Amino acid sequence: MRRVACIIAMTGLLVSPLRSQGMQDSVYAIQEVAITKERIFVKEQAGMKQTHVDSVVLQNKASLSLSDLLSENTSVFVKSHGRGALATASFRGTSPSHTQVSWNGININSPMAGMVDFSLIPVYIIDELKLNHGSASLADRSGGIGGSININNRADWNEKYSIAYLQGLGSYSTFDEFMQVGVGNKKIQSKTRLYHNYSENDYTFINHGIASIDPVSGAITNPIDTNDHASYLRYGLLQEIYYRPGANHLLSLKYWGQFADRTIPKPTSYEGPDNSNLNSQEDRDHRLVADWKYYGDFGKLLLRSGYADKGLDYNQMNQVPGLGLIPAIWSESRQQSLYNTFSYAGGTDEDLSWEGSIDLNYHKVGSADSVSGAGYEGQRNELSTMFTVRKSFKDRVNLNLMLRQEWVDGIRLPFIPYFGMDLRLIEGVDLLLKGNIARNYHLPTLNDLYWQPGGNPDLLPEEGFTVEGGLAYQQTFSGHLLSTELSLYRSQIDNWIIWIPSYRGYWEPRNIRSVLSKGLEYSMQLQGYLSDFNYRLSATYGYSSAVNQGDPLIWSDKSYGKQLVYIPLHSGNMMAQLGWGNLFLTYQFNAYSERYTTSSNDVSRRDRLYPYFMNDISAGSTFRLKRVDLSLEFKVYNLLNESYHTILYRPMPGRNYQLVFKIQI
Amino acid sequence: MLIRKLIYIGLPLLLSLTGCMKDDELWEFEKPAYDIPYAGIFVINEGNFMYGNASLTYYDPETRQVINDVFFLTNALPLGDVAHSMTIRDSLAYVVINNSGRIYIFNKNTFKVKGKITGLTSPRYMHFISETKAYVTDLYARSIAVVNPQTMEVTGAIPVSNSNGDFYQHATEQMLQCDRFVYTNCWSYDKQVLVIDSEKDRVVDSIEVRKQPNSMVLDRNNALWVLCDGGTEGSPYGTEAGGLLRIGAGSTEADLVLGFSPGEMPRDLKINGTGDTLYYINGDVYQYAIFGSAGPELLVESPYEGSILGGFYGLEVDPLSSELYVADAIDFVQRGMVYRFNPEGMAIDTFKTGIAPGSFCFNF
Repeated sequence: MRRVACIIAMTGLLVSPLRSQGMQDSVYAIQEVAITKERIFVKEQAGMKQTHVDSVVLQNKASLSLSDLLSENTSVFVKSHGRGALATASFRGTSPSHTQVSWNGININSPMAGMVDFSLIPVYIIDELKLNHGSASLADRSGGIGGSININNRADWNEKYSIAYLQGLGSYSTFDEFMQVGVGNKKIQSKTRLYHNYSENDYTFINHGIASIDPVSGAITNPIDTNDHASYLRYGLLQEIYYRPGANHLLSLKYWGQFADRTIPKPTSYEGPDNSNLNSQEDRDHRLVADWKYYGDFGKLLLRSGYADKGLDYNQMNQVPGLGLIPAIWSESRQQSLYNTFSYAGGTDEDLSWEGSIDLNYHKVGSADSVSGAGYEGQRNELSTMFTVRKSFKDRVNLNLMLRQEWVDGIRLPFIPYFGMDLRLIEGVDLLLKGNIARNYHLPTLNDLYWQPGGNPDLLPEEGFTVEGGLAYQQTFSGHLLSTELSLYRSQIDNWIIWIPSYRGYWEPRNIRSVLSKGLEYSMQLQGYLSDFNYRLSATYGYSSAVNQGDPLIWSDKSYGKQLVYIPLHSGNMMAQLGWGNLFLTYQFNAYSERYTTSSNDVSRRDRLYPYFMNDISAGSTFRLKRVDLSLEFKVYNLLNESYHTILYRPMPGRNYQLVFKIQI
Repeated sequence: MLIRKLIYIGLPLLLSLTGCMKDDELWEFEKPAYDIPYAGIFVINEGNFMYGNASLTYYDPETRQVINDVFFLTNALPLGDVAHSMTIRDSLAYVVINNSGRIYIFNKNTFKVKGKITGLTSPRYMHFISETKAYVTDLYARSIAVVNPQTMEVTGAIPVSNSNGDFYQHATEQMLQCDRFVYTNCWSYDKQVLVIDSEKDRVVDSIEVRKQPNSMVLDRNNALWVLCDGGTEGSPYGTEAGGLLRIGAGSTEADLVLGFSPGEMPRDLKINGTGDTLYYINGDVYQYAIFGSAGPELLVESPYEGSILGGFYGLEVDPLSSELYVADAIDFVQRGMVYRFNPEGMAIDTFKTGIAPGSFCFNF
């Protein structure tokens, strides 16, 4: 890959240096700022809307969860159930299971529920974060009707040895520890990351769900309550080993294991006995992936095998006099997946390249509740073949044709084509007109098919048809770099699955909805220096109309033509960073317009969430003591001390603080 | 110099972005004052589990006036998470809020909150024994709470656990009283009706019915009618055909059983004011004149297509007029509907309610 870069030597320091991709862990203070102009006219990416999250952002958010980063720095909407609690992501108004997530090339969406809890992914373990919006996700796999999120790790072949430690101390007894040890040479590299995050999460709030009532006047007073039973614990290990026996071979082995234990808060209105309605969830993950890459004269070969094993337990306990704590729910599930990829990328020609790949995946899940005895076991075989050919014409036009054919349990799915195009509007200028047209399918999850009670084995795959187009522009001018992109999209998704109650008394999934999602995404990034300062400014704005067009259930069903629940029409964020000497300042702003909680979009006082505006600010300094690099940063979250909630009746914390200390040898 | 500039420009910019999320507006508003002197019907809207959006709708059959969310509007106090049932005693209404573990007490004419009974694990129904004693059934507590409605305190508990290790049994549900005996159906993973002596506050007998008895009524001869759905398909507790059972006054055995087809899940058994006609939902609404020779008859057809869907979620019969009120939760994530029918099943009126209307309570 050709890379056009201009390095601007500076006397100032940036928040964190951009040395090379994958070096987000560095806390070195280098006397230069790399302003890297990305190559945006790439035939392999023709027509695709992609977001490469800057390593500066990855480093700034290292002590947070990926859910925080996505909502604050990308156009993805994150629905978070609270600090440290379940957070799901949706692109362009689609559902969380329409976001396909991979870690080093293996899909990590739960085969049971179809989605990913982004609160369980620490930013610290990410070296490279790439988002493929809409049909661009077909380059990774099918099913990403909304898009895909790719989390990657990579080797730094210049590393000899390094140790880095990050300590975060935050409000509500929040402790974050991250450690990294790297060792290696030009042939072999090992990187070990360990982390431990814990929070008591015991913030206080005015509890509007509970009142003390004056029996005479009826006057009510809301108590100030503590967010009890909301603690979270997460620890894990990421081990990477890279081996380069010769110039043409690269082998790697990566393991990521994590344990998370969370207590799920009771409803804020709960006034039952203290030791009842106690809910907790435990997530145990092991993921392993091995790659062999061979770079031949004519192309690149990739062989990849992976394994993922997830255990998820959920329980609810109640104190029963004479019996002690008795479980009312004791649900245990295990999900195992095997992944195999064979791919060959051919065509060394600058103007023409092609790639063929075969993926063979197997999932096996089992879920059981020992209280009710209900449960199910399910499995699935997936075979996916892909062929893509790209052609470039005189550095003015890129074309990309991608064809996918998949089989599930031996049954052939409809053909999935993608066609994308880039057009360089002015010769020599990074101003591109982009567009693509594609079909996509999303399979029902194993829960949708087999959950007891309710699973519906007759469900059809959700079916998407998307057209999108946009403009991308990038320009450097006297030490400043501007990159900006505008995309417009229109997606028709049929056979959309929702769970609705049946007269049998339980919920069942049905292919009932048809959703028309259309809107725009805009992103802008400006960086450079002004006098002694260096700065970086990035912003996104999204307009997302996701409207239900399925047949009304009955005449009184008012959900037709209405925005989907919890999807904001407008969303935006901004991050501004300023560096001066060895000091740096970061300001973060994030906003959503109102969200409805009813499918009929009732505008009553209670059934909608008011617009969300969040401001965070942080300041810090980097310095060097002998051979040790140090950095200290103080962060203020919810700067304006807003009282707010983002889920009905789940108050969020007010202004809170975090101190982050980093050391690297 | 630049720093100063930045402060001059940056700070106002920062402050101009001060969002002020409008949390206060949810709680601070002009509260309407109601005083409803006449009879009406409360619709208890469950709301969504964990959303805390349960609500009460008030409907006046005379004027057809509908007031939604009366409790919240009057008190600026949300009802809570999953409102399950309501009982009226004299001028006070007692609404049981299942996943909030409490009962709110309010004036039935002004809707003004008077107090609350708390400390209940997962309460379902409240039944008055006397002015100073009431029972509250519970899904998870494995006991029935004894409360004093006057002091608004929990005064005791009636253990109902049967120590069955395989299933969470003796989740108690509805209550009916005949003399000093209170009958309660154990619906979840169970097939029992327990008999409680309300003078001794303990279980004295039990009646075995079919799987999952979900509702019951007493007819004019004090015979107990129990509607059993037969269990959920695929459940390890197993299924059997549902049934409508009659247990003669004072007896512990069914003397009449009307079976349903396998796969049918009848629910919401109700009786008219004269105690001679039963009503229940089995996809559609059925009527059964228990002293006649005909069996159950279809009264109101569900508007939902096919056999799977069905938003008919609650049913009540006006004890005076024998008019029918059927609640439809639609997709459960929008405001529901109530359809009002005359005793012959002809539609009279419809009105919008809150989310997931599940039960009714008459205010006379």
